[in-house]
Amino acid sequence: MTLVDLVIRSMRKNLKHYYLYFFALIFGVTLFFIFSTLQHDSAVVEQTDLSAKMASGFQAATVLLFGILLIFVTYANDLFLKRRSREIGLYQLVGLTKGAVSRLLIIENILLGAGAFIVGIGAGMLVSRLFLLLLMKLVGYEGFVNLSFSGAAFLQTAVVFAVLIVITSFRMFWKIRRSQLIDLFNDDKKDEHPKQPKPILSALLGILGIAMIGIGYWFANSEYMMTAFLFFNMLLVLMLVIVGTYIAFRVTIGWLMTLVRKQQNGHIGLAGALSLAPLMHRMKANAKSLTVITTLSAMTLAMAGFAYSMYYSTEQETRVRVPHDFLIDEVGEGNEGTSAEIAAQFAEDLDSAGIGYTQQPITYLELTGAFSGENLPDLLNWEGNTVELLVFDTRELKAAGLDIEEPETGEATIHNNGISWLLTKEVFPVGASVAVDGRTEKLNVTSIGTQEVASGYAGVYTQLTLNGETFDRIKEAAPAESHRPLVAFNLDDKGDLAEASAIFKNYREEMTLDFYSTYKESLSYNGIMIFITGFLGLAFLVSTGSILYFKQMSEAEQEKRSYTTLRQLGFKTGEIMKGIRRKQAFVFGIPLLMGLVHSVFAIKSVSFLFTSTDITMPVTIAMIAYALVYLAFAILTIGYYRKTIQAAL
Amino acid sequence: MVTNTNQPHGRTVLQAHQISKSFGSKLNSTEVLKGINLQVREGEFVGIMGPSGAGKTTLLNVLATIDRPTSGTITIDGQETSKMKDAQLSTFRRDKLGFIFQDYNLLDTLTVKENILLPASLGGLSKKAAEEQFNDIAGILGIKEHGHKYPHEISGGQKQRTSAARALVNHPSMVFADEPTGALDSKSASALLGTLEDVNKSRGVTIMMVTHDAVASSYCSRVIFLKDGAMYSELYRGDKARQAFFQDILNMQAVLGGDRVDAR
Repeated sequence: MTLVDLVIRSMRKNLKHYYLYFFALIFGVTLFFIFSTLQHDSAVVEQTDLSAKMASGFQAATVLLFGILLIFVTYANDLFLKRRSREIGLYQLVGLTKGAVSRLLIIENILLGAGAFIVGIGAGMLVSRLFLLLLMKLVGYEGFVNLSFSGAAFLQTAVVFAVLIVITSFRMFWKIRRSQLIDLFNDDKKDEHPKQPKPILSALLGILGIAMIGIGYWFANSEYMMTAFLFFNMLLVLMLVIVGTYIAFRVTIGWLMTLVRKQQNGHIGLAGALSLAPLMHRMKANAKSLTVITTLSAMTLAMAGFAYSMYYSTEQETRVRVPHDFLIDEVGEGNEGTSAEIAAQFAEDLDSAGIGYTQQPITYLELTGAFSGENLPDLLNWEGNTVELLVFDTRELKAAGLDIEEPETGEATIHNNGISWLLTKEVFPVGASVAVDGRTEKLNVTSIGTQEVASGYAGVYTQLTLNGETFDRIKEAAPAESHRPLVAFNLDDKGDLAEASAIFKNYREEMTLDFYSTYKESLSYNGIMIFITGFLGLAFLVSTGSILYFKQMSEAEQEKRSYTTLRQLGFKTGEIMKGIRRKQAFVFGIPLLMGLVHSVFAIKSVSFLFTSTDITMPVTIAMIAYALVYLAFAILTIGYYRKTIQAAL
Repeated sequence: MVTNTNQPHGRTVLQAHQISKSFGSKLNSTEVLKGINLQVREGEFVGIMGPSGAGKTTLLNVLATIDRPTSGTITIDGQETSKMKDAQLSTFRRDKLGFIFQDYNLLDTLTVKENILLPASLGGLSKKAAEEQFNDIAGILGIKEHGHKYPHEISGGQKQRTSAARALVNHPSMVFADEPTGALDSKSASALLGTLEDVNKSRGVTIMMVTHDAVASSYCSRVIFLKDGAMYSELYRGDKARQAFFQDILNMQAVLGGDRVDAR
């Protein structure tokens, strides 16, 4: 029998262990190939304007994807090597040299990798069109894109997978070189024995783990977070939460379980014997991988939830920055004439196109001023500095269709979307001294508005809105050159936006004055974002889910003898499965639950970016999707356990 | 067929009629048990001996409902187990039978006490009643003070006594033991067998034990010898001292398989 015969035989024998790994490898190749194809295909690049916008995003995603695959493949490889250690030992016992055994395993690895590569590329070619359609739909592109086989993508995928296979093969070689025969035979028995934990120490550590996570959460959402040390603070939060999670897995959960078990005083019952006991038994060994899985779960979930929220809220968030459908100001490049003249021409064009609209002139005053207040955030650096201020009349804005509050006489509302997250309720009231023609007009700023009041100034200038009486008084005092006339257009039927936007481009090309163009731009940006994070998340989910599945598979194998005993003692498969289901609920539920909670707090701490949208809905959907994939893996492992238990007697 | 007198006159606990068991396909099958008839009365301590390949363990497994006979009927405690479905058998094993295995088969992740109380967990026993039963049986077997320890923290003999306690905790109609002393040193072995003998006498527990060790079977009240899948002979201890019974068993073994006794 040659080495190749041996390889084929052992692969056939191990097929049932391999198939999910094989599937995950295929999935990785497919995803990688699709990503690669989408960024290399010239048609896609041209027609979606990818190169300009998100090529770097795609590249970063490709690197991340490679990282995920590398971690997953090496991990799965280690696990398989461990469970096959007895077999490897046997080969050596009958006289195969270490070199021959490594060759055997490396050939297997290469065959497996090559097989996955071929199938994966095939699947990638089949489904990449589907993914492309999805991407086009997400970015809001309506048209036909032809996708051809990309040689560059094929090459890139091939190189990446060759690197993966070389790395794993080298690890195998190295591991076998180092191994002692006796260890190989004892490897599967080597799991640690349960120890009685020191009660006081584990109680202290147990509480510490939870406390660290709690402090991290609290800090991330507290006022101390937003200081000049923001970056440092973020690292601190990350460290607190990750270390806390590790301690929670390593100590806290085991400690809580010990308490429950002690309280049971030996009356553990079958379900407990199959869930509580083995979980406690393995918690220490599993703490590291569970921490990694939880942390990465939380990150992916936060990322995906965030991207989906961005996408979901695109329209509302665009409205915040671009409140009017179209806004005409007076400084048109290449367009001579005042805003009123341009508005008249634009109105004429809209009329002849049969588009219904309302138009409203808005005059604002461009002034300078300074703010003072006890609670002004340091980050703003307003104290003692002069800033540019745009002063608006609430009456005109209301007539233009904005839904804003009218301040009292002598008071003002501030509008600046860029800094609204810094201006919490506690900051107000703030004093504003506005310089009007050599004099200083004192205003009392009482609140912040939820949106910009004029398109095109988003996040750049600070705007103040006044009631009619105050505005008129300041307007009269202000010199004529500070008066700036605008004309706002709002369409009766928003279905006409695309057509009107095309007409508008004849007059003004600034996108920020045109709601429709801004919206389309954001949509395609967010669409690519959600595409990338969504599929990275998927790749990540599948790999972590598989890792949990593999772990459970070897656990089931290790515990087979216990199941035989239980069956002999007269426990039915159904009764045993009850305990197994409870255990699986923990194994998949704890990392999922902790990941979910982490991501909720992560998203909460950045939710200030969504000024006008409730993102509960998109975040919930993302989380449910995530939980469902985990559930699918949990059901798969339960099926595996059932088979093992049925075969145990 | 050699039969001694002094048979006990208790109720019949186990009745096996024409048990045969074949392995393999129809065309190429090996008959391991060839029509065995057997009756065990309440309170008996029956040993099964025989050379390697005689079918000792197969017989035990079939009688203990872990395996099914190819033909024949088995009745335990008045119920015909050979006709039962798998689910019924499970319940039956749990309620009526106890098992002791050569390699203990304790659950490593459970403490001694948890292991012992496991069979009682689905019986609807109150916690108080279960606690009493634990105290009772663990006291008899001398492992009460080790209740909170894990299997890896105790000796082989203590493990096997834990296994015995688990087998006895439910007051089974019958206990099946497969080479219970196979992995023990001689001192632990005789301690365990002594305890089993005590329990057999004091509680009237019916025990069936497979062994290849003549010393072990000398603790029994009756020893059945198998050869090539059939009953070869049986010996009753009667009122004999253990030493004398041991000599009888050795003599029988010499007749049975030369002087070679299998070493499993």
